[in-house]
Amino acid sequence: MVLATLFTLEMLTPVQEHVIVPFTGLLAQLSAAIVLPFDSSVVAYGKILQFGDSGFAVSIEAGCNGVEATIVLVAAVLAFPGTWRSRALAIGLGFLAVQSMNIVRIISLFYLGNWNLDIFSWVHLYLWPVLIMLDVLIVFILYLRWLSTADVEELAVSNG
Amino acid sequence: MDEKHHLRQFLLFVFALLIPCFGLWTIASGPLGLPAIGLVNIMLSNWFPDVVSALYSQGPEGLLLTEFGELNGRPVSSALSEYQLGFTLDTRILSYSIPFYTALHFATRKKDYLAGYLQGLLLLYVLLVFGLLCLCMKELMVVLGPLFLEQKGVFVPPASVIALLYQLNVLLVPTLAPAAIWAWQSRESPLVISLMGKAA
Repeated sequence: MVLATLFTLEMLTPVQEHVIVPFTGLLAQLSAAIVLPFDSSVVAYGKILQFGDSGFAVSIEAGCNGVEATIVLVAAVLAFPGTWRSRALAIGLGFLAVQSMNIVRIISLFYLGNWNLDIFSWVHLYLWPVLIMLDVLIVFILYLRWLSTADVEELAVSNG
Repeated sequence: MDEKHHLRQFLLFVFALLIPCFGLWTIASGPLGLPAIGLVNIMLSNWFPDVVSALYSQGPEGLLLTEFGELNGRPVSSALSEYQLGFTLDTRILSYSIPFYTALHFATRKKDYLAGYLQGLLLLYVLLVFGLLCLCMKELMVVLGPLFLEQKGVFVPPASVIALLYQLNVLLVPTLAPAAIWAWQSRESPLVISLMGKAA
């Protein structure tokens, strides 16, 4: 239910306009800020990253921003029993993990696309979505592990 | 074997299996999508007989031919134009759920691999067929507009529902469904028991 609600919310035009699009632009700027100090052939404007020499460019669009993966993580964490503090921590750290992975994805795709468009398409459309979901799964598994450790420690403290 | 080792083994196997699974899927994606294309062709040509001519297979892609052509940039009846409007659909944007599920499934220690795998595949294939149906409806809606949405005597889902189902089936289902099926099927595996048993 959380998943369906959040996903439907994400698709609403006001949410897209005021949250998703600005957030996607921020991701593009962050990716550019990481790449620019190391590669002078790269130019960035708005949500576009471009190679000055070859002209190849990528535009970071809604759907490339890891929001859906974050929604899945939020739904999974909320669906599982836990304190609100642990849930908030898992969602916050999970969000950072997903977005860090997503920036790696954006930068890797940018360079892959400049090298080979077929490989770019394959990796962009099929491989990276799986790696991002795997990231969510790993974060959730680590959250479960952390919960179990916290439970054991709590039990040890209460026993003595 | 403790929980840490189960987890390490699982992660190692998943990453190791992803490469061959995606390799095999790339080779087999054409024939893999064929039954889905055939089923959706039957559904669409019966549901929208005045709009959809046929959905053909072209390797891993589907070619959706409509009963309309184009004249001066506008869709018109195919009798008025010299050709039929059609568009290609990439079935792989839905079927990559299969190599992902395969890697997750076989990376987990279980007593029985094959029966569960076939059940999971069947479930994913049903979702693939539904996803392809939504993909086709979204293309028909975008290309034909009112010609598709306002058919007399035919129930057509509202545009917002088609758009939402399309987004859901393209953005979420291909990655979420394999993970969810895997989690459900692995609920009695040593990895999940060790995690859930303590955490729940």
